[in-house]
Amino acid sequence: MSLAIAGMGWVTPLGNCVDPVWKRLLRGDEASATPISEQFGDRSYSAFRVPESALTSLAHPRLRRASVISRFAATAGLEALQAAGVKVDSQNAGRIALIFAISNGGVIYTRRFYRDVVETGAQSASPLLFPETVFNAPASHLAAILGVTGTTYTVVGDGAVGLLAIKMAEDVMADMSLDYCMVVGTEEVDWLLCDAYRRWRLLRSAPPIEPFGKQKRGMILSEGAGAIVLAREGPITIERAHPGGCYGKRGEAEEILKGILRDLSQVEIDFVISSANGTFIDQAEQGALEQVIPDAITYAAKPALGESVGASGLWQVILGAQALSYGELPPVLHADPAISLRLARSRVAVAGARQTIILSSGVNQQVAGLRLALR
Amino acid sequence: MAQLGSTTGEKTLERVAVVAAGVVSPLGFGLAETLDSLRRAKDCVTAVTRFSVAECRCKTAGQIPDDRLLGGPDKRLRAKRLHRASHMMIQALREAVMQVPQFEPELTIIGTTSGGMSYGEQYYRSLCRSGNLRHAPTWIANYPAQKPVIDAQEEVLSVSVPCQVIANACASGTNAIGHAFECVRSGRYQRVLTGGYDALSELVFTGFDSLQASTPEKCRPFDRHRAGMVLGEGAAILALENLELARKRGAPVLAEIVGYGISTDNFHITQPDPSGVGPRQAMERALKSAEISAGEVDYINAHGTATVFNDAAEGKAISQLFNGVPVSSTKSMMGHSLGAAGAIEAVISLLALRHQFLPPNINFDALDDRLDLNVVANESRPAVVRMALSNSFGFGGTNASILIRRVEA
Repeated sequence: MSLAIAGMGWVTPLGNCVDPVWKRLLRGDEASATPISEQFGDRSYSAFRVPESALTSLAHPRLRRASVISRFAATAGLEALQAAGVKVDSQNAGRIALIFAISNGGVIYTRRFYRDVVETGAQSASPLLFPETVFNAPASHLAAILGVTGTTYTVVGDGAVGLLAIKMAEDVMADMSLDYCMVVGTEEVDWLLCDAYRRWRLLRSAPPIEPFGKQKRGMILSEGAGAIVLAREGPITIERAHPGGCYGKRGEAEEILKGILRDLSQVEIDFVISSANGTFIDQAEQGALEQVIPDAITYAAKPALGESVGASGLWQVILGAQALSYGELPPVLHADPAISLRLARSRVAVAGARQTIILSSGVNQQVAGLRLALR
Repeated sequence: MAQLGSTTGEKTLERVAVVAAGVVSPLGFGLAETLDSLRRAKDCVTAVTRFSVAECRCKTAGQIPDDRLLGGPDKRLRAKRLHRASHMMIQALREAVMQVPQFEPELTIIGTTSGGMSYGEQYYRSLCRSGNLRHAPTWIANYPAQKPVIDAQEEVLSVSVPCQVIANACASGTNAIGHAFECVRSGRYQRVLTGGYDALSELVFTGFDSLQASTPEKCRPFDRHRAGMVLGEGAAILALENLELARKRGAPVLAEIVGYGISTDNFHITQPDPSGVGPRQAMERALKSAEISAGEVDYINAHGTATVFNDAAEGKAISQLFNGVPVSSTKSMMGHSLGAAGAIEAVISLLALRHQFLPPNINFDALDDRLDLNVVANESRPAVVRMALSNSFGFGGTNASILIRRVEA
């Protein structure tokens, strides 16, 4: 069973809405890094944040107390539905499923809630903040805004979770009573996340992200959301979604990625959207790509947009769909010229491209892939 | 009843067997201890020892003792670093796999709400104290929600199985089992591991306390004097397999999952719609999915958190759909283990089906006079149980129900 992409929505550090962000990527724009500091010592980090202007059009009572992660998701979700021409009403509310992909979740409110507990005691814990710390808070807000009454799932994982959520959508849509499934990936940045990834030696303190670099200097976190509305028919299809895999040790990731690429490259592949982010996963993806489909053009957007973890898989799918639709790939920023992969080093025409592989490798043991096709 | 080879519309539906199960909860380690605690109506809620609850209203929880959970023979450094939740998952999965050593899952679907949250707490507290952050990489690496699932697979299965982790608040465990059931029933998968886990954490405990959802008293589901929930922890695993294939290879068939219903009621992020519409829709959809009538259900393992709002909404929905079916909330004995609850309660329902008894709803004095329920009060009792319904409802208005049927040996 293959599903089609009927609509897409995008909230990124380069702004919101699919086409404007796409144009900026084609121009070679890179998001601006914002410094993030906290009370703990003098550690300061940089992150790619969503500009305030991207959320101004959204006002809903349900989001009054919600954290930005829920606002990102709602903005992207509503854009995707509008692009798909779907209006949710009491007649079809049960025929639309909603699946969220999240990694770190509502970390801003989680930190605030726990800070109060640690600094002033449990009696200061806020009953308003606590519900927003729960992983499925963004999904429940969007379900309420739209009036979706049936299947709603929040899937958690690492950077691969977006593609795993799409795989789950494929399984959910085996129920033919469903017409659509909206998949939303969303994430917000907080100092605490930056510090955690830095202590884990996966984050660098300032840009750029250097994809596939030998030094593996680390990633820069970003935030935002991506949403796709999946339907039964349409010009761009998710032709095959691999169920993914889990690696134990970092060195095992490449073998699992090879298996995924072999499974997805049974047909001619025109280009690959990689999840390279400046960490150890780049080496795994490079090794697998060179072994299995060495001739495919590879594009990586994280140097321009940052590592948005739970949202990143959806962003990659949007990029793949846009590249198939418009026959172009944006330039990969900050890539060392000596890298042996066939990278899209400048804006590249891929006119006539019909199939692309989206490859997502997370830093917490999960990998996944899928193949998009233009019919 | 949906039979093998039967069709709904144009689609053939496969039957789905439970071929193995494993559980760790305050009721005990493994199926045998759990069964014994249920039969004896044991109150497994104790004073919280993992963190200070001095400033909380609630002081108790259902807890798994560390001396048994962590005190095993495995002294490797890796085992020491793993989160308690990983140890729970490992023990539950090990018990299940011992029953079906040849079980090779294609997919694992697990529910949770908070992953390795206590490691996140340790990291944050160390930051606040400008303390020793030498262990920070270990805490951070073992914090993610998928980690205990992957740890358990590595320890017990020694193979890489793709995993999906569902975090639908307190409905997560039942959602995971329900989605796994749909995956096998649709014919897209033959064998899926499913279940749920959650370990007690200070942040979550304090959160429920701040909402005044937890009680300083006993947990008394559906009781006139109920005052709230107590939290719990644990893990449970079910191995699901296409029933025909399971029988062909001679695998044990413990029970059959026959229906799943999910609904979203959109009323409030922490409270159910008082009309009970969300729970009712989930139960109705499970019945429809199974193609059975409400009269065929012999036992309901209720969500039954003992909060005023949940029990009122769930009780109303049950009495609207079912006529005098025995109901119990086993959370009264072990607390609410959040993402694990639906999975543990599915195992409890399975035990009720296999051993023909009704698990008890303890601490029960008198029924809330606004409810019309047949509560299995305070003691377990023998009964003919052919079909059990298990409910789980969560924050965000998410509701899930599954139906499990007895299979004759």
